[in-house]
Amino acid sequence: MNLPLHPVNSVLQLIKKDLIVDWRQQNPITGILLYLASTIFATYMAFKGFVSIEVWNALFWIILLFTSINAISKSFIQEERRSHYYFFLCKPTEIILAKLIYSFTYLFCIALISLVIYSVLLGNPIINYGLFILNMILGCIGLSAAFTMVSSIAFRSSNRSIMMAVLGFPVIIPVLILSISNSFKILDSYILVQIQGNLTALLSVDVIIIALTFVLFPFTWKS
Amino acid sequence: MGYLLKTDWWKWLCVALLSYTVIGGLFLPVPELPILNETIRVLHFHVPMWFGMILLFLGSVIHAIKYLRTGDNKSDIYSVQLANMGIAFGLLGIMTGMIWANYTWGEPWSNDPKQNASAISLLIYLAYFVLRSSIQDQQQRNRISAVFNIFAFFLMIPLLFILPRMSDSLHPGNGGNPGFNAYDLDSNLRKVFYFAVIGWTLLGYWMTTIAIRLSLVKQKLEDA
Repeated sequence: MNLPLHPVNSVLQLIKKDLIVDWRQQNPITGILLYLASTIFATYMAFKGFVSIEVWNALFWIILLFTSINAISKSFIQEERRSHYYFFLCKPTEIILAKLIYSFTYLFCIALISLVIYSVLLGNPIINYGLFILNMILGCIGLSAAFTMVSSIAFRSSNRSIMMAVLGFPVIIPVLILSISNSFKILDSYILVQIQGNLTALLSVDVIIIALTFVLFPFTWKS
Repeated sequence: MGYLLKTDWWKWLCVALLSYTVIGGLFLPVPELPILNETIRVLHFHVPMWFGMILLFLGSVIHAIKYLRTGDNKSDIYSVQLANMGIAFGLLGIMTGMIWANYTWGEPWSNDPKQNASAISLLIYLAYFVLRSSIQDQQQRNRISAVFNIFAFFLMIPLLFILPRMSDSLHPGNGGNPGFNAYDLDSNLRKVFYFAVIGWTLLGYWMTTIAIRLSLVKQKLEDA
């Protein structure tokens, strides 16, 4: 017992643990899916009839933003009682790597589901699926990484849900601006060569967020 | 930093530079340009606020990093007070900019990327203070807020320096507008502008050192 695990192995174990936790207590996932469905339905009721491509695009990302802040805020808040246990078992870098991978996968699945529901109700102007999904992946990486870090900060404060939004929204704006403008250009039938630069900019913001998360997370974890 | 707290030659320098800025900025000749006309003089009071803000936030982040490395309470006080003064400079920058924009661009807020970016960076640092007030334990508060300070500052850089260049802006040097140099052919503005930047930054720093000393004294009284 208590043998030090190989780093890759312990990251896999931590991801598996998150999966099992979410599978056993299903109310967070069903809650998020229902949140998504009702938000999309509310926008459909409010906006049907005058949805241009710009509005379609902006609404899609705003819905994704609000869903992701709710979905990912749980990632550290649910760990409250367990954190002492990991503290002795794993390195902080392993914990944050596992969390980043898990929350990205989680958010990407949510984004795909929301894309399906959204396009059924509000129409589907996407021509170039490959490029749209690529931009969505880059956007989801940024959203999930930034909110995971913010969640580990907000976890330490009193009134957490307010702090998630107050700390998260200003920080996420570079990712949001870039992904909204890229995705609008993709819907406006730009091809890869024309938006290469913008996609690289989004990717580099993602890299900055992930690098900062790796450097800073151990300090929030120590307390 | 400790050295500058004890000497005062730079305070005299600051007074001299700012007197020169106010007198020279208002009375020296400026380029005659359409629309801008005499309002161009506000350059010496508006742009240095942004330089000052960035430098003060930079100082705040450096002390946040220092805090995480050493755990010294002093660094935390430096970091907080520098951020505080940075917000004050940012607010002044936004207000002077809005007044200027009202007369030259026709409206105080015209969805310009630089205006938005500056508003967001103020939101980030206001959030920093809300975060501080919502954590009870002192050590934890210092550490978590230092982490957020560093995280937010490095995300602010792409916001302030990269994004405005990618979209159209009314500010000079962006979106096909000629830069500052093109307006200042006879270097009349430069004669005052650079000194104004140094002067205003020193003034901000001076005010910060007073706030720092005040909170150091307060802490000593609390500990005693």
